[in-house]
Parts: sequence; structure tokens; C-alpha cells
Amino acid sequence: MMTRAAIIVCWVMAIGLALFLLVPLLVIAAASFSPTPVFDLPLTGASTRWYGRIGRLDGFWPSLLLSLQIALFSTAISLVCGTLAAIAIARGKLPGAGIFATALVSPLMMPGLVLGIALLQGFRAVGFTAPWATLLVAHLVITLPYVARTMIAGLSRFDFTLIEAARTLGCTYPGSVLRVMVPALAPSFLIAGIFSFLASFDNYPVSIFLADVRTKTLPIRMLQYIEEAPDPTLAALSTLILLGTVILLFVSDRVVGLHRMAGTSD
Amino acid sequence: MSESSPHLVVRGVSKRYGPTTVLDHIDLTIRRGELVTLLGPSGCGKTTLLRAIAGLAQPDAGKVELAGRDITNVPPHKRNVGVVFQSYALFPHLTVAGNVAFGLKVRGTAKREIDTAVERALSLVKLGHLASRRISALSGGQQQRVALARAIAVEPDVLLFDEALSALDRKLREEMQVELRRLLQDVNATAIFVTHDQDEALTMSDRVAVMNKGRIEQLAEPRELYLRPASLFALNFVGLSTRIHGTVLAASDGKVDVETKVGRLSALGNFQAGSPVIVAARPEQLRLGEQGEANSAAGRVRSVVFQGSRTLVEVDAGAGESLLAELSGRDGAIPRVHDEIRLSWPVTETFAFPMEALG
Ligand SMILES: Nc1ncnc2c1ncn2[C@@H]1O[C@H](COP(=O)(O)OP(=O)(O)OP(=O)(O)O)[C@@H](O)[C@H]1O
Ligand SMILES: [Mg+2]
Repeated sequence: MMTRAAIIVCWVMAIGLALFLLVPLLVIAAASFSPTPVFDLPLTGASTRWYGRIGRLDGFWPSLLLSLQIALFSTAISLVCGTLAAIAIARGKLPGAGIFATALVSPLMMPGLVLGIALLQGFRAVGFTAPWATLLVAHLVITLPYVARTMIAGLSRFDFTLIEAARTLGCTYPGSVLRVMVPALAPSFLIAGIFSFLASFDNYPVSIFLADVRTKTLPIRMLQYIEEAPDPTLAALSTLILLGTVILLFVSDRVVGLHRMAGTSD
Repeated sequence: MSESSPHLVVRGVSKRYGPTTVLDHIDLTIRRGELVTLLGPSGCGKTTLLRAIAGLAQPDAGKVELAGRDITNVPPHKRNVGVVFQSYALFPHLTVAGNVAFGLKVRGTAKREIDTAVERALSLVKLGHLASRRISALSGGQQQRVALARAIAVEPDVLLFDEALSALDRKLREEMQVELRRLLQDVNATAIFVTHDQDEALTMSDRVAVMNKGRIEQLAEPRELYLRPASLFALNFVGLSTRIHGTVLAASDGKVDVETKVGRLSALGNFQAGSPVIVAARPEQLRLGEQGEANSAAGRVRSVVFQGSRTLVEVDAGAGESLLAELSGRDGAIPRVHDEIRLSWPVTETFAFPMEALG
């Protein structure tokens, strides 16, 4: 039994942490509507002119396109390969499945800087220098662990007797996978996809080693803007990205339920 | 098809996993409308036999025929076999009705027919009112019924139950045993149950197959199985018994005289003089006191267990042997612990089994 005092401490802690996490986001959203180039509290009015400037930022559109492309492709490839690897690990009785699993998710625990340098050196050593392709391969290293981890967890909770049940009810084997396993794992796919996409989209430390003057991802470009001209345009862009993420999560919640995605209940 | 013609025939089916033989030339013939139980200890191959019938495990040798066609090499989705799994294996992303409709949908049945079939299957298991529920919002007993409804909705040629009731608590399980038997008889289903619960086997089935180490030791009606066990294993596995070690002294047409440490006993069985045997009798055959021609033995009461309509009395007969008697209070006084008593039982209810067959 927890005492009253302990419960109060926990509540204060929870609320404090939530504020600590959310306040910076609120500040940046507020700053994006600042009427003056220098953001000052209290606000003396509101303006949306910084939003109009986003599109006119130097090199913004190519960078956005590049980041979206890399994030989409690496997520799609990771979902396929990561799921297959996860099936092998969760289902196959291969010896050392645990070691494979650890190796597959290990980039998650590696500092991005180390990963970036290692990849740069590795690519140079084998003469692989095409910027777009190196970025994609590097982002696969970033996104695969998210997919593998989520799918291994999802599969370990999946009851493979469901497939047998479907087969005895008249479904072929591939049909059973499609009708039973895929829907049952849909929440896992979705959360793996979202995490993977976001991890790729906002990656800086790995991308910075592989980008060149013409191939810059959005986070690299944004850091460059803030060095050149620190006005609220960047706050506006950040707010839009935040909004996009919230919408993504909201829609996913509508589709499968966040509590299912977090694996906290069924 | 007539009632008595064979409906499911398993012929010489064997299955090995690596060095272990899991099924050893299984022969099993089941008539249409019959309810058969596979009863045996853990690991004896019951599930494997069901999986071989359902097509989920390919036997190394032998044949399976169902409703007059050879299905040995037919994939599971074309066998028309219904399976109720121990874990129920209900599809979590579908509703109760969605689960029951699944088999018909993949068969491409027309929507209207599916609706009526689902309704009928759900009303059979008394779950009509829960058709639109999510699976996770059902109790264990309700899930069990959905699994059953899903299996019978496609009107399979045979229904297979792998310890389908074992996850239920005892009271619910006993209710379901009776209800399930009635329901299956109503729809004239042919079914095989797998269990290691002897009461379930005796309650549910027309015939029981006692399995041991990948073989069927005896296939008989519950009553015959209990009264005339074919082997020591069957005797041990179903019901209680008194078992006494001895050596055959003399044998004559189906009867043997056996020298044991509790005295000379007579039993049914065919053995040569000198064979080591185990003499056995069911506890309800043992009576207090002496009776003319009957077998008898004496000893000191070790324990008395009152079980309602009957009382189990265990007697230490000396030399490591013990007697187990089930006395109903009507026959007279129930002895007390430490009493010296004599028990007797009819020769025609005493069986001799070869000693080495134990296990
Ligand atoms: N896929 C498999 N690979 C290897 N061995 C297996 C496999 N399936 C079953 N076995 C072995 O076959 C034997 C029989 O298994 P089976 O599941 O048929 O037993 P069972 O009678 O159903 O037991 P229980 O009452 O515990 O369910 C066991 O020793 C088991 O370890
Ligand atoms: Mg089993």
C-alpha cells in the first residue's frame, strides 16, 4: 500500500515532467506567431508571416523532398526486411537467435556520431560515395532496429495457432498469413513504421557525415538556417512538423489505438 | 452414409520427430456420429495424432481417410475438419460473429447464407446475444463456445478437440462436458476429444482410446474400459485399483492361481506357470469379511477417506502390499484406522497382467 504522501509525490512528479516536456513545444509554437523578428514575451500581437516565408528559404524544397524520400524508402525497406528478420528470430529455432536480435537492435544503443563516422569510413573504404544512396543505406541502419524491435515484440505475442486455425477453416497458408497474421500485427506495423519514419526524418548526427553541398537533409538545412538568420521562420517550420506528427499519431490512434501501439493493453 | 460404416479411418499412421517415435502405427476407425476420446499421459502423442488428422502434421507412414476419401496428402484447408484448440485460437481482430463467419467467408459462401449459418451456430452455443462483442471482452467459457461455434459453422466431417475444456474451472468444465455431448449428438457430429482427464473421457465419449507412448493400448466403451481393462496401463490410467505382485502357480482355461505375499489368489488371465504377474481388482469389488469361493486378504487399516456416497479404505496387507476398498455405508460398519480387517472380492472381477508391461 502506498501512503498518501508517496501518491502526492508521484503525481507532482508526473505533472512536472509532462510540463517539462510540453512547455518548450508551446514556446516554439507561440514564437512562430511572433509579429517581430525577435521573439519576446509577452506577445504584442500575432502574425502568420513567418509561415509564408518557409517556402522561400534557400534550398528548403529540395531538402524537404530529400528527407521525405529517404524516410519513406528506408521505412518501407525496413518494414519488409525487419519483419522477415523478426519472424526468423521469433519463430525459427535457429541457434543464437538472441544474438541476432541483439545485433539487429544494437544501432539503437550506439551514439549517432559514432555510427555516422563508422558509416562514412566504411563507405569510403569500399568506394561507395553516391550521396543519395549512402544516405539511404545509412538511414536503413537507423530505421531497421526500430522495426526489428517492434516486430519481434509483436510476433512474440502473436499466437501462431491462429494461422493453423485459419487453415483448418479453409484458408490456404498464404491466405491465413494475410487474413490473420497481418491484421493481428497491424498495430505493430504501424508503430514500427511511425517510429522508423520519424527516426529517419529528424536524424542529424548520422546524416551530417554523408551529406554534401547539394544533398542536404532537412535537419541539416534547418541548423544552417538558424546559424544564418535566427528569425521565427524556423519556429514556424518546427511548429508545422510538430503539427504533422500530432496528426499522424492522432490518425493512428483512430485506426488502431495508441494504447495498443504502446502495448499497454489489448 | 449409414450410421455404422467407417467415417474416419486412421491406418498404420506413424510419426517421428528426430529420434523419438511419437506415433507408432496407429489404427483407429470411427463411425459416423461417434464421439471418441483419446486419453493418455502427457507426451504420448495425442495432439500429434489430432494434427495428423487435421493435416497440420504430415505422418511419415500410414493413411487417413475421411468420409470415404483418402485425405493423407490433402492440405488442411481442403480437409473439411473442424478443430477446437486448447487456447481457442480465436481471431482477436474480429468480433464473435466475424470469427464464426470466417470459415464460410473464405469458402466464398453467399452473405445471406453466412448470416443464417452464423446465427444458427451462435444460438446452438447460446451466444446469440454476444454476436457483435470483441473477443477480448469474453470470459473463458464464452470464448470456448465461440471456438466451438466457429468450428461447427462450416459443418466439418469431423470435429477435433484438443483439451478444449482444460482451461475452464472445474465446475464450468463439468457443465460443459454434459452440454457439449448433448450438443454434438443433436447435430450428429463425429468428434474426437483429446484429454488426460479420465472423468472427462468417461463422461463425454461413446468410446475411449487409451494411448501410451504413441500406441493405442485399448479402444473400448467407457464401461468396458473400466470393467475389463486390456492392460495394466489402462487399468492404472482409468480409475483406482488394488494391485498385488505374485507368481503364477497353475493355469487352466483363462484362469490362473497366483501365489502372492498376502496369500493365494485366483484371477482371470492366460499365463504359464511361473510367470510373474500383477493381480488387480477395482475397489468397489472388495467387501468386508469372508465370502465362500472369493479371493481374500487381511491387514490393518491405514487410512479411511470419506467421499460422500462412498468411503475409500486403504489396508496395509503387509510385505509392501496394500488393498484399496470402496465401501458404501449401507453394507455395514465402516472400519477405523488401525482396525484389523479381512476383505474379499470375486474371482471373476480379478485380473492378472504381465508384470513387465508396467509403464
Ligand atoms: N514439432 C515437434 N518437434 C519435435 N518434437 C515434437 C513436436 N511435436 C511434438 N513433439 C514431441 O512428440 C511427443 C508427443 O507430443 P504430443 O504433443 O503429441 O503429446 P500429447 O500427448 O498431446 O501431450 P500433452 O498431453 O502434454 O499435450 C512429445 O514428446 C513431444 O515432445
Ligand atoms: Mg497435447
